[in-house]
Amino acid sequence: MEIHIGVGASSESDEITAVREALRQARLKIPSERIDLAIIFTTINFSYSSILKTISLYLKDTPLIGCSGAAVISHKGIFKHGIVIMLLNIPEGVYFNTASVTDIKAKGALNAGEELGEKLLYGFQGVRRDFGITFSDGLIDETSNFIFGLQEKLGKSFPLAGASASDDLLFKKTYVYYNQNVMNDAACGLLWGGKLNFGLGVKHGWKPLGKPRHVTKSNDNVVHEIDGYAAANIYKDYLASDLENLKKEIKRISILYPIGIYLSGEEEYLLRNLLAIRDDGSLVLQGNVPEGSQIRLMIGTKESCLLATHQAIEEVMLGLGARKINLLLVFDSVSRYILLGRRAEEELKIIRKTLGEDTQIAGLYTFGEQAPLRAINYQGVTRLHNQTITLVGIGG
Amino acid sequence: MTNEYLINILGILTILALFFLIVSLIFKMEKVKELRVEVDNLKKSLDEMDEQAKLIVRTDMELNKTQEELDKKIIGLYALQRLSRTISTTLEENQIFKMIEPEYLEELGFERAAAFLWDEKEKKFTLQLSVGYLNDEAEIIKSSVDKDHGAYLDVIRNERTISSISIPKGTFLRENLCSLFKANDFVISPIMPKEGSKGFLFVGTQNLDITMTEGDEELITIFCNQIGQAIENARLFEKIWLSQQDLEKKVEERTRALQNALNEVKLVSKRKNDFISAVSHELRTPLTSIKGYASILLAGKLGDVPEDMRLRLDKINRHSDELTHLVNDLLDISRIESGKVTMKRETQDLQRTVASVADLLSVQLKEKQIELFLSIPDDSRNVLADATQISRVFINLIGNALKFTPANGKISVQSQKVGDEIQIDIVDTGCGIPENAKEAIFEEFYRVENTINEQVKGTGLGLSLVKHIIEAHGGKIWVRSKLGEGSTFSFTLPQS
Repeated sequence: MEIHIGVGASSESDEITAVREALRQARLKIPSERIDLAIIFTTINFSYSSILKTISLYLKDTPLIGCSGAAVISHKGIFKHGIVIMLLNIPEGVYFNTASVTDIKAKGALNAGEELGEKLLYGFQGVRRDFGITFSDGLIDETSNFIFGLQEKLGKSFPLAGASASDDLLFKKTYVYYNQNVMNDAACGLLWGGKLNFGLGVKHGWKPLGKPRHVTKSNDNVVHEIDGYAAANIYKDYLASDLENLKKEIKRISILYPIGIYLSGEEEYLLRNLLAIRDDGSLVLQGNVPEGSQIRLMIGTKESCLLATHQAIEEVMLGLGARKINLLLVFDSVSRYILLGRRAEEELKIIRKTLGEDTQIAGLYTFGEQAPLRAINYQGVTRLHNQTITLVGIGG
Repeated sequence: MTNEYLINILGILTILALFFLIVSLIFKMEKVKELRVEVDNLKKSLDEMDEQAKLIVRTDMELNKTQEELDKKIIGLYALQRLSRTISTTLEENQIFKMIEPEYLEELGFERAAAFLWDEKEKKFTLQLSVGYLNDEAEIIKSSVDKDHGAYLDVIRNERTISSISIPKGTFLRENLCSLFKANDFVISPIMPKEGSKGFLFVGTQNLDITMTEGDEELITIFCNQIGQAIENARLFEKIWLSQQDLEKKVEERTRALQNALNEVKLVSKRKNDFISAVSHELRTPLTSIKGYASILLAGKLGDVPEDMRLRLDKINRHSDELTHLVNDLLDISRIESGKVTMKRETQDLQRTVASVADLLSVQLKEKQIELFLSIPDDSRNVLADATQISRVFINLIGNALKFTPANGKISVQSQKVGDEIQIDIVDTGCGIPENAKEAIFEEFYRVENTINEQVKGTGLGLSLVKHIIEAHGGKIWVRSKLGEGSTFSFTLPQS
């Protein structure tokens, strides 16, 4: 028995019309009446509760997970205002469980991660767990710790892929959907087990530039010193700019020149976006940087970005072998969206050209991606990434 | 001895070993020196490369900024082109603002927009477009714009775009606009159609990452010019459409009035014909009696008729004939007009018809010494006409010519082919017809005032009857004449 997946997408401005249209398209692809799971991605400025209500009218109590993004991605295109809905009809032998966690800030990211892990494992006794997907509020500071918490429960090298929800680049509010709940400061997850075939691909395309440096003082995602000097000096030096100008240009710098952490044995550097530059010269990054880490300034171009997309798809295909891809989930960094600008659609073109025009695609632009770095054999440890395109291929 | 020997050998060996060790150390030190130089060189290279990396990063940053600017302009131009195309597709003024899609404005870099038009009668602004605002927010903006309408009217009066670039930070105006429209950067540009109410468009963004440039200001100014143009077109179209509607209405009304008048005329004409027909019939009977009795008296069947009485009876007889003739003509006209008489169209030989008429009039022709010329070529000889009626046409027209042509004059009858018809001209050398009477002569009972008409009696029905007969054949009749130079009566008949 094969897993049946239907993807629908709509850019209608009215959410009810959009949901109906997307549901109709998705249903057409599923031969059975039974829908076991729904995953949705939406952009900002919708009435979210209205979306979930409309879906529940059609799908009743079907478990639902999802989150918001700066734009949604599907085989129909990239919609700056739109909805993507995936419906799954899961065959015998494949198991799944969904769960959510709220009040992450109050509970602490690590504890919240553990709580979600525990909830996901509930009901999975005796079933081999294969793979997990998580969606979390994109404005949580300690997403790295949240992942550590999950790994405490699910296993250090358990393959996880996920997206940090995003908004319309104002960094004000992002949303996580769980069943009929629209949540902030929350996360939800999906745990798969049984005979699910999947392939992962994670690439960013940024290259190291200049001398290797060492983090001499850091605290979680705040880097205080690099090579014994104030951390911001790295940007001051390279860009010949003072602290004030760096702060003004932070978004551009963050996208174009993130910090890359060297990980022994990994193919690519782990990227960290710059969230803020403090007056004392410390850098606040999106994700943890352990003290003693060797870091480099990274540089990326549109071309290197698109090349990485290509490589990520190849990784997915390697993971799935000869199996046909039923659905490709795309968690694409908003940084890439901004960097590629008018060429953003090219990523989608590359995917469709490589996997075939009829491949169903569903995804969104994120404030952070979660995936194991060495994705080909799933042995890598799942980490929080920035600037990557993270692809999850679900095979037949 | 042996021990000493051994000690000596060991000493020598130690010295040698030390020597080699020193030599090897010297070599190693040289090697270390070389390696240190190499490390220093590598460190230097690395530093140099790091410096190069800095140059690369700085250049890359500049390139990216330029690229971003270019991208923004291209996207903006595309959006502007699409917006312009969209708003130019409608000719309804109230649709223009509805067609401004938020996504196009977003591509221009603005997620908020509001457009107002000034209502000169009501002395207030009307909100035409609201993007990125909730209904309550739009209401607040509207009432504030109305309250401070003077400042916004200045933008329209000065025909000048203002923006967060041109208004310095910290000024009351800027802070006020930013807080009212909930935007960090904005452009306000006038909408100036040539006629009618004018207005302004506000576009703004809250996104602090977007750097407004003068290019943005220019794009919005161009866009507002295009909105103005679209409004102007819509208003012109409406004006034309309304006047066309008005015209159509007038035409319809006039047509209806004319139709009514025509119906009235037809009714009157029918009544007239009915009346003439009735009266004529009523007249015929007594006339026959009068004529009959006069004839009996003249024949002397009732006794001798004295000369005086004969003269009077002759007059009665002649006048009765004239009256019968008049009544018959009237009846004919009435019948033709009412369609009671159908023209029996047959091939008529014009040569023969005219000859028989000439024969009929030969006595009068001879009396007045008037020559009648016929010029009827073969290709215009045969017409499709009712034999009796066409003879009456010739009798009337040649008779008229004879009447108004002085002695020794000339009358000619000519025919020619004109298209599918035959045109017949009857030319005389008579006294001619005054210009003002040329149309009237074809009316019933009209008689030109001249000496001949005073002397010769007539009914004034002849030409009217002729006209009716010709028209009943599908032809037309007209006259060319000059006083004292004779007349030419022309008419057409279908060719056989």
